[in-house]
Amino acid sequence: MSPLVYYLFTLAFFVFAYCILGWGLNLQFGEGGILNFAYIGFVAIGAYVTGALSLGKPQAGSGQTYIFGLSLPFPIGLILGGLAACVFALLVAVLTFRRLRTDYLAMVLISLSLVLYDVINNFVPLFNGADGLTNVPEPFADTLGLDPNTFVPFFAGVTLVIALIMWWLMSRITRSPLGRTLRATRDDPEAASALGKNVFRYQLTAMLIGSFYAGIGGGLIIEFAGAFNTSAWLPGETFLIFAAVIVGGVGNNKGMILGALIVPVLFTQLPKFIPDIPGHPGLILNIAAMAIGVLLMFVLWFRPQGVIPEKKRFSRLPAVLVGRRSGSTQQSAPLSTEDTL
Amino acid sequence: MTETPRPTPAPSLTGGPAIVETDRSALACVDIHKSFGGAKAVDGASFAVPEGKITALIGPNGAGKTTVVNILSGAMTSDSGVVTIGDQDVTRLPSYKRARLGLIRTFQLSRELGGLTVFENLLVAAKVQAGESLTNIYFRPGLVKRVEAENRERAAEILEQYGLYELRDNWARELSGGQKRLLEIARAVMAEPQLLLLDEPMAGVNPVLIDRIGEHIFDLKTAGVTVLMVEHNLNVVEKICDHVIVLAEGRTLATGQMSELRDNKDVVRAYLGGVLDGRVDS
Repeated sequence: MSPLVYYLFTLAFFVFAYCILGWGLNLQFGEGGILNFAYIGFVAIGAYVTGALSLGKPQAGSGQTYIFGLSLPFPIGLILGGLAACVFALLVAVLTFRRLRTDYLAMVLISLSLVLYDVINNFVPLFNGADGLTNVPEPFADTLGLDPNTFVPFFAGVTLVIALIMWWLMSRITRSPLGRTLRATRDDPEAASALGKNVFRYQLTAMLIGSFYAGIGGGLIIEFAGAFNTSAWLPGETFLIFAAVIVGGVGNNKGMILGALIVPVLFTQLPKFIPDIPGHPGLILNIAAMAIGVLLMFVLWFRPQGVIPEKKRFSRLPAVLVGRRSGSTQQSAPLSTEDTL
Repeated sequence: MTETPRPTPAPSLTGGPAIVETDRSALACVDIHKSFGGAKAVDGASFAVPEGKITALIGPNGAGKTTVVNILSGAMTSDSGVVTIGDQDVTRLPSYKRARLGLIRTFQLSRELGGLTVFENLLVAAKVQAGESLTNIYFRPGLVKRVEAENRERAAEILEQYGLYELRDNWARELSGGQKRLLEIARAVMAEPQLLLLDEPMAGVNPVLIDRIGEHIFDLKTAGVTVLMVEHNLNVVEKICDHVIVLAEGRTLATGQMSELRDNKDVVRAYLGGVLDGRVDS
């Protein structure tokens, strides 16, 4: 396999993984209005738990210490990683959602993300501290006899299948009355509550499902890369996924695909494969980071609704009903501009 | 689940079908207090809203009307006092639980759900929502579809009654002020209220639309809905309200019919100069 094809499959994997991450954040932020600035923390929990469940018991002298070590096969470790992120989300939501809203909640969540980062970075017995987990087994590599050249396209394909399943599951939610109610709680929690909606319950639902997606995305990344440490989830990484959601289109899962392609892949992953400029190590990555900021400002200024804006859900009345409506004689006259000043 | 009769069009504000009225209280508050810092917004207000009637809550600016509505709807908790719906003490119930008991409200400033279409604003208010459960979404899609179809039909009927049908696919945020008022009332009707709290439904609305909103409120009464409305426009109060509660300085000053209250000296004094033959303040 040529290096270019290898890179393209690698980039494809990141597109699919970031789509999953983005859909989860889009449900929380785009549909539910939850400014989850700790999102990368839920990704990390999914990654660490998946990795620690997939690895065997830590060997003496291997330099790694971590909990679990159950050698669970794929995808059991991955699903449990997603569920672990859910459990963490439940704790966070119960502690914060009843008392805090919007900006205050966002501040608490970003603080939480920093605390989580410090705990995992410094408490070595948990997930091996700053060195993180390494040598996580590549799923099916032994069974199918895959080498690094064949594993990358294989796992990109597996991730595509998982992303399609996650897309279908998410579409069912966002198109359903549950999605509509989530958008109502996003637009005006007090008005939604006055209509009988338990805002806490719906936002908790969005938080749990979104965090499951974060955990699955994180789990896929560690299964693909075989390693994960604290440098992979600096709290600022959350804003990368936010940028993808905003650029693609808040509240639109199709927009998120575009957002994942543009921000985390073209602006973050692709520059990693560009050779350094001699004498200026890291310059390209720094330029890429600045370019994301410029892109975000550009989008917020000229197209705040994102490249693919939130879709309008048309009434789509049954034909019979439409006919009856147009033939009705009892309706009030439609309001004229004069009536509605 | 009890089904609230649906509103039927009334011929005019002055006419309409005969209404069976009772003196049973649908909503009541006893000695409620609410302070913000040192300022007493509500200072021992007590009153009862008779079932099946339109009751107006009037008073000069700063009388505590909106705070009372917020306390009655559960958007705010009182410092002390009791709120009851029928015979049930709901003082500590959050607003969504009161809404499920049939108490629906509108707001002083229209609170349309701007990121939803007009049609979705109504659909989201429907009382029965099979599609809000994850289990139903994935394992009982037929049930979700059936309930949604019923809700869609009912939403279309209500939008038609309120003259908003042609605007059903507009974003709610794109509506004019008057249209937003109508949408809020239509949305409240979609929630099948037994008790409706309207906070200044005519505020900022032109005279043509005021008449129309008045007709809709009257229609709700004919359908058996108890209405409590905060209103400054005393002509409207006189036309459609059966009962009036006057608040001043956070206390109940008087209750009765508008014709009786016009002669009440305390009420006249509360209105700073006794302008009781029209709109009392801007």
